[in-house]
Amino acid sequence: MEASTSADDFIPAALAAYGVEADEIELAVMRAAHEMFWPPILELLALDTSAVASERDHDLSQAPPSR
Amino acid sequence: MSEPLDLTLRDQAAAIAAGDVDASELLEGALARIEQRNPAINAVVETFPERSREMLAEAPAGPLHGVPVVIKDEWPLPWRAQRFGAADMLASPTPGESGPYRALRDAGAVIVGVGNMHELGAGSTGNVSVYGPAGNPWNPERCPGGSSSGPAAAAAARLVAGAVGADGVGSIRYPAAYCGLTGLKPTFGRSAMDGHHMAGISTTIVSGPLCADADDCRLLGSVLYGEELRAGEARGLRIGVLTGEVSEDVAPAVREACEAAIEQLRAETGGEVREIGLPELPAATLATVLIANSESLGAVTPERLNQLDPELSPLGRGLLKYRLLLPAVATVKAYQVRTIARQTLASVFEDVDVIACPTVPAVAPPLEAPLVELPSGTLTADAANVRGGALANLTGIPAVSVPVGSSEGLPIGLQLQAAWGRDELLLDAAEALERANGRRWVEALPPLAAGERAEA
Repeated sequence: MEASTSADDFIPAALAAYGVEADEIELAVMRAAHEMFWPPILELLALDTSAVASERDHDLSQAPPSR
Repeated sequence: MSEPLDLTLRDQAAAIAAGDVDASELLEGALARIEQRNPAINAVVETFPERSREMLAEAPAGPLHGVPVVIKDEWPLPWRAQRFGAADMLASPTPGESGPYRALRDAGAVIVGVGNMHELGAGSTGNVSVYGPAGNPWNPERCPGGSSSGPAAAAAARLVAGAVGADGVGSIRYPAAYCGLTGLKPTFGRSAMDGHHMAGISTTIVSGPLCADADDCRLLGSVLYGEELRAGEARGLRIGVLTGEVSEDVAPAVREACEAAIEQLRAETGGEVREIGLPELPAATLATVLIANSESLGAVTPERLNQLDPELSPLGRGLLKYRLLLPAVATVKAYQVRTIARQTLASVFEDVDVIACPTVPAVAPPLEAPLVELPSGTLTADAANVRGGALANLTGIPAVSVPVGSSEGLPIGLQLQAAWGRDELLLDAAEALERANGRRWVEALPPLAAGERAEA
């Protein structure tokens, strides 16, 4: 099955699953956000990151430990 | 002597220490100037003269003794809870002693007002806020940048010589670029963060200074860091210039100014320039947005989302609800991208000292329609700005935006990023750039500040 970027289906269904209400303006904002974020999210999900070793207890104030 | 309010932060502090300027007069002057200039830009959303006078009366003999500053509406004060630029921030903030407040108080500074900010910190423009939009002192109909819109506009309009912002996804550097200031995003964890409603949760947000120039950022930064940011000399600087859309899908005037500044920096430091490719950058940008959004979800419940304050903007309401729909698997991938980006940068910083690119790809857009025209077409300013701003927050590295030019009467900023803990080098490099261009851009004044001075 091909991935869909259709906000019209996804957003109302997902909000309904959570029991979250939204008015027309909020839905329009969410549709715009979805159009912007969803395609790159799908690209991100397609990345093969299986070889990425987790940085345990990463300390963002420091460089990562040498590999 | 110049009008004391027009002195740099360090010169105000030195003049007070030497007895050449009366701190009480400086405070009253700052309050009067806010009253006079602020209506045009809505940079300062609240003053509290009695509290400020009390701070001055009790101010210790610190490095900022008696110097007025503005702090972003992101930090609680003992007499005021932050509102985060929003009618509803999900969390229930309370007044208190935030880390930046304590740092300023202990340095002898006087908080003279609270700076406006983009609603919920969720925008790079500053045109949406519970207090109304802030304006850019260079043209009040243009965006000042966000989310630290008010601190930047206040410092650029010379309401104060220094202001404290916060940077979770570029939020100090965007307004620094739009307003012609120097803005420092510290290495993660180096600057005061206590008391922030996301402290201990956020892995992207830091406090930092917004000032006219690098030396003032060094002074205010040292206070926020709780350690002296020692001045050095940037010699033989190895400058890596980012390739790709962050440097190339940029308005021609911005590209030209930034390329000229990079060459000036190279010549001034006797350094070298090489191109740096970061193919992970688009994924890193998305990863930053996903992580920053997921970290703020702790206070979210479906019931709470159904009870949002109706005064929250439709944009804010829609985006808060949309966060709930972001897939967890994407956030997991985002953390993996963070690991990759950190490893890549660690390798890059073996070969270069700083990474340079335009801070934002176009000058400040109109408040009414914050869109930017780029070679690739028309984009929202947020979508365009995040390309250059996110990496430092994702990985923890420090970054600075330095004014390097002007187009349409609006400032242009160059961003420099360095390895973890090399914040001081960034300020040294910024000062080298100031020397190279004769301090032309750090001393440029917006019409709102320059007009009055010309009349004086």
